[in-house]
Amino acid sequence: MRRPRDLERPLLGGMCIVLPLMAWEAVPRILPLPQGAKLFFTTPSHIATALLRLVQSGEFQRHFAVSAVEFLLGLGCAIAVGLPLGIALGRFRTLDAALDPTVTALNATPRIVWIPLLILWFGLGIWSKVAVVFLGAVFPLLINTYEGVRSTDRVLVNVVRSFGAREWQVTWMVVLPQALPYIVAGFRLAIGRAILGVVVGEFFGASRGLGYLIASAASNYQPDVMFAGVGVFMALSLILTFSVQAVESRLTRWRPEAAERL
Amino acid sequence: MAYIQAADVGLTFRPANREAVPALRGLSLEVARGEFLSLVGPSGCGKSTFLNILLGLLRPDAGEVRIGGRPIAGPASDRAMVFQEFGLLPWRTVLANVELGLELKGVPPAERHARAMDLVGLVGLRGFERHYPHELSGGMKQRVGLARALATDPDVLLMDEPFAALDAQTRDQMQAELLQIWGQSKKTVIFVTHSIEEAAYLSDRVIVVSARPGRTKDVIPVRLPRPRDYEMRLSPEFNELRLRIWKALKEELAVTRVGDVPAA
Amino acid sequence: MSPRRRLARRRRLLVGCLSVAAFLAAWEIAFSTVIRWDPFFITKPSLIAAAFREQILGGKLWHDMAVSAWAFTWGLSLAVLVGIPLGAVMGWRRRVEYALDPLLTALYASPLIALAPLLIITIGVGITAKALLVFLLAVFPFVFNTCAGVRGTDPLLISVVRGFGGRERDLYLKVILPGVVPYVVAGARLAIGRALIGILVGEFYASSEGIGFAISRFGDTYRLPEMFVGILVLMVAAVGLTEVIRKVEALVAPWRLGQQER
Repeated sequence: MRRPRDLERPLLGGMCIVLPLMAWEAVPRILPLPQGAKLFFTTPSHIATALLRLVQSGEFQRHFAVSAVEFLLGLGCAIAVGLPLGIALGRFRTLDAALDPTVTALNATPRIVWIPLLILWFGLGIWSKVAVVFLGAVFPLLINTYEGVRSTDRVLVNVVRSFGAREWQVTWMVVLPQALPYIVAGFRLAIGRAILGVVVGEFFGASRGLGYLIASAASNYQPDVMFAGVGVFMALSLILTFSVQAVESRLTRWRPEAAERL
Repeated sequence: MAYIQAADVGLTFRPANREAVPALRGLSLEVARGEFLSLVGPSGCGKSTFLNILLGLLRPDAGEVRIGGRPIAGPASDRAMVFQEFGLLPWRTVLANVELGLELKGVPPAERHARAMDLVGLVGLRGFERHYPHELSGGMKQRVGLARALATDPDVLLMDEPFAALDAQTRDQMQAELLQIWGQSKKTVIFVTHSIEEAAYLSDRVIVVSARPGRTKDVIPVRLPRPRDYEMRLSPEFNELRLRIWKALKEELAVTRVGDVPAA
Repeated sequence: MSPRRRLARRRRLLVGCLSVAAFLAAWEIAFSTVIRWDPFFITKPSLIAAAFREQILGGKLWHDMAVSAWAFTWGLSLAVLVGIPLGAVMGWRRRVEYALDPLLTALYASPLIALAPLLIITIGVGITAKALLVFLLAVFPFVFNTCAGVRGTDPLLISVVRGFGGRERDLYLKVILPGVVPYVVAGARLAIGRALIGILVGEFYASSEGIGFAISRFGDTYRLPEMFVGILVLMVAAVGLTEVIRKVEALVAPWRLGQQER
């Protein structure tokens, strides 16, 4: 029978999310909480009402707009820098060798470590946050583009060359399409890092934005607002990642099942 | 009584969320001890499934298979298989891979080691004992597969299109070596292949299996003298044999092409 | 490795080191002679080196590193102890994966760092909060990668071992376990990156010692050379750890190549 097996998967998954939420909701009604705990305990319903309240008052939209701007600017810069640089590193071995230690070191270092420095340089406005987002997003893009370019099939390049194609045509017709799956995968990773960058960037020294909202809610003992913010980020992250994955699948339809195991 | 007896064997695959696929229905055959038997048939006709039943990994839904008079209860050391995609454990050296069957049998290390070394030499891989599968060519990998299967000294050697993944020259070479090894050991070999020529060249008998669900369509004896050599492939008798096998196969191929249900 | 490849690798390394050295030299020379610079904004390599020496001799650097390392190790160990078995069960039992995967994916997508303030408020400043933060961030790569490793077991190899008379225990020990190892090591590489983020955020936010705290404190007091020392120490640690894992990966799984990024 088709039906029961197909339903099993979403049913189990859904239950594993719904049941804990329900249990969470039920806790304060069942267990008496110590006075101190009441300060930082909240329930899903409270979180939902907090979110609603924020949206109705427009406060949410304001903060969201700031974070969105930081996210988009940072991501945009990362694409503008990461893609061309990745292609350049892929094509020119010497450049690649020269920059390799720097890229490796910067990639391995958690971006967070630059935050105090970035705040010194860019101040507490949006530009330090844009910088954090940029630093987080540029490396997956750079590295994946690089990998994509390096993995170009030499045979295809020769085929196209034999038909009289010039360098830029070779890049356009062979290198880029072959590198595209890598680039899109890099983009998917970059988005996750960018969102994280927004959150963390706004944590330390900010006066607006969703991350700031979360941090200040925590200091003001408003766990419902805090979780509301976290929830929004989670939803955004999931939506964006899944969208990119959908695009990724469409773009890589021609590929035989290759390295992407996860 | 024949050494291996399959009587009216049937097996149906029932994958989740899809329609049931009958792989075998009413397959009967007999194999004499020490015989080299080939199974040819269209894709999906169940030849590999039958091999898996002989190995003991699958249980038939209908009918019965007996070896030496006893029904098959699961994998045992009197049978061993050589797999088409080699199936070598990538994290083990050549030697360790050959030792696998012996290890599972509980043979002590020293004895395993000695026996494995012998077999590595037998299949012509001396010097490669410490190599890893990813360092070997296709032909070399299959030699390891063969050595591994021979290590437990099984009575029955099951070979599932073992040379299909190899290039033509390596394939010819492996065929000759297989015949030589078999000639010295007199094991019973059941060989599944798509290649009519390969089946005719290697076997004592060729069984043509019908299109899915598989059953025995035709049994064709090969009366060429042994030991076989390459020139026999050019003789008129050989060509007649090939033609005969091909005719039987052709009908089954036509059946398979039209209205085929995708395999599970 | 063939002598030719060895030479090429040496040359690559040389070019890389030269470019870094050239950059540092240019930085030093430019800031010592030509450019007028604001010490509250930027510094130069010689000052950083002096601060480095001072901190090593003074002992504070060692102490900070030890504190951070302690919390890091605790959190990471817990992540391994919890993540790997959980991932294995998920990989082995399809239903468990169906049930847990959506929940874990949602959690993984959430910026769990945002919970840092809440954690610190509830548990208090100190090693427990930091270790817990590290654990929350580092556990996911282990879970997902172990699961993928178990699920990625080649069914052909299972047939092979069963065909040669292997029983359940043999399947685990001879096929599944060795097959999972490369995945787990790759997961460790990802986990380490995330763990470093956790340690830094924990120490930035509320701590009185540790490398992260040192960096942010020096930033607050505009002591740039000392701050750069902290950043560099962290960079070296990050690169060191990542390289070690890469070496382990190459050792453990020479037959595997390709990306395992999530």
